[in-house]
Parts: sequence; C-alpha cells; structure tokens
Amino acid sequence: MANLQITVGAVVCVEAEIRGDVRIGTKTIVHPCAKILATGGPIVIGDANIVEELATIENKSPEPMVIGNNNVFEVGSLVKAKAIGDHNIFETKCFVGDEISIGNGCVFGAGTKVTPSQAVPDNSVFYGQPLKHRLAGERPSAQTLQIDFLSRILPNYHNIINPTIKREIPALPAEKTS
Amino acid sequence: MELKDIFYNKQDFVETASGNKVSRSTVLCGSQNIVINGKSIVRDGVIIRGDLASVRIGRQCVIDRHVTVRPPFKKFSKGVAFFPLHIGDNVFIGEGSVVNAAVIGSYVYIGKNCIIGRRCVLKDCCMVADNTVLAPETVVPSFAIYSGSPGLHTRDQPDCTQDLMIEFTKSYYQHFLPNTAPPSSSIFSTNISSEIASVS
Repeated sequence: MANLQITVGAVVCVEAEIRGDVRIGTKTIVHPCAKILATGGPIVIGDANIVEELATIENKSPEPMVIGNNNVFEVGSLVKAKAIGDHNIFETKCFVGDEISIGNGCVFGAGTKVTPSQAVPDNSVFYGQPLKHRLAGERPSAQTLQIDFLSRILPNYHNIINPTIKREIPALPAEKTS
Repeated sequence: MELKDIFYNKQDFVETASGNKVSRSTVLCGSQNIVINGKSIVRDGVIIRGDLASVRIGRQCVIDRHVTVRPPFKKFSKGVAFFPLHIGDNVFIGEGSVVNAAVIGSYVYIGKNCIIGRRCVLKDCCMVADNTVLAPETVVPSFAIYSGSPGLHTRDQPDCTQDLMIEFTKSYYQHFLPNTAPPSSSIFSTNISSEIASVS
C-alpha cells in the first residue's frame, strides 16, 4: 500500500509526481513537476531540502533510500543513489547512478554523470566534461533563506498537499516495479 | 535554406490575439507574471516559472520542447530575491535547455540541452552551442559563440547575425503550421474522387 507522509512545514506542490512510500521532512520544498518515485523501496527525505522542477529522485531497490537534510536537487537532475547525507547539491541535469552512497557536502556539477565506479568522499565536487573531481574546502551553505522565501511564495500560486495527511496513491502496475 | 514544415495538432495549441502559439501541455506557473509579446512559439513540455519572478519574452521567439525557463535567485545579506527574467526578440531556445539567465538579449541562439547558469547575461546576437554549460554569472558578449562545459568563448558570429536570426525565427513561425489539412496524398485522392463525381 503506497502512501505519502508529509511533515508540517513542508511545501509539496500537488503538481509534483510522487509515487510509492515517500516521507517528506519539515521545511522541505517540492516544486511542481518534480518527481519522487519510490518504485522499489520507500524514500525518506529529511528536513530543509529543495527539489526543483523536473528533478527526479528514484529508488528502484527494495531497501529504503534515506536522504538527509539541506540538500538541493536542481532542475532536471536524476538521482538514484542508495543513500544521501546532508548539504549536498545536485546541480542542473546531473545524473547520479544507483549503488552510490553519498556522504555530506558533495556538489554534483551541472550536466555531470556520476556512475558507480567512483567513490564519493565527503565534500567532493564533480564538474565538467570529461568529468573532473576535486575536494572542496568547505561544504556548501544551507539554503535556509531560499526555503523561507519559497515557502512563502509557492502557496500563493500552487495547491499544496496538506501535511501529515496520508494520501492514497494508486499502486504501480506490476511490470514497472521489477 | 528553407526550413521544413512542422505540423502541430490545432487542439493542442492556443493561438492568442497577438499571434503567440502556446502548447496546452506547457506548465506556466504564475501565468499573470508571464508576458509573451507576440508571434512567439512555446512548444510542448516547456516550463515557465512566472511564480518566482516575472518573465518577459519578446516578439517572434521560439521556445522548443522541454525547455525550462526559470528566473534566477540571488542571496543577499537579508533574504533572497528572484530576479525578473527578460528575453529579447527573435530568440531561439533549443530542446531540453534550462535557462536560469537574468537577461537574454535579442537575436540570441541557444542550442539543444544547454544549461544557462544563474544570473547569466547573454548580450544581443550571441550564440550558445548545443550541450553547453554556462557557469553562473557568465556574461556572453555580443557576437560570441560559447561552447563546452564549462562554456567558453570559442568562435564569433558573422556580422549579419541579426538578419539571420530574424529570418530564421520568422520562417520557423511561418513553417509552424496547424495539422488541420489532411495529408497531401488524401487531398489528392479526395480531389480525384470529387472530380470523378462531378464528371459523372
């Protein structure tokens, strides 16, 4: 039985596509047209994350995918990682394959494609084509101000899913879950 | 060079009084903040975020499929602000691009799958090649061609870019036709059959 749990303080637009078992922490912003697809196991999203439009968070494996706090998933990013820590930035149109566990403070640059073979230490920065990797001196700062702004603005223009209310979502057809 | 006709289903598009053709499957957030000045084409799957800040798009622009137009934000000491996004006239934005720019001038060509970073300024008559990633706050000067990831100045546009872009966007608009007429073969056959009917 698929269900969606949203903590009070989160702003989740109705136009976002959310499937399967998803729990969303407080102060997290989910823009319209974002996709959170728990086609395998559940997805647990922490506090103060931003999921922008066309960003896709997908969990196909049966294990739960746990996402920490203060992460930013920018426009068109596709993230399938096993687990994600805190303060990570997934920039526009980046791709993060499954089998990666991401720690804290990593930046995946715009248009990069990071696949399982690379290890990801804390404060990693991936950028450019061909892919380059460096370590950052400090982790990216939290987007608290942007979150405050968005949580004020978005309810004026969009319908927001009411928090703490469990919403029934039609279960996926069997062939897609495999 | 003559462009190929592109046909669309008439019921999938809205044509406004000023000649804009906007697909019904676009996501226009905060549509009261979006101004499209006329004779522009916004194709299917486009997302324009007017809810964050106002978006003004000039005349005879073409926004191809699955483009995201999103006003950029900037962090200040007190809070953040989303900047209004202005796009000039005769601008082409290719398929799958993400536009986070602050200003885009006129006669600008943006290729496919480009990423225009936050608060970029694209001056008139510049070009961004396919698959380019422009870093935040890049200023692309007039007549420059930027390409690569991160995007760098690689070549220059010809002096006649303005005329080329006007011609290109104009002919794109002229060749963007509703699919109301049946395919040419069936026109032929119906004509013949009607002629036969009139003869008999």
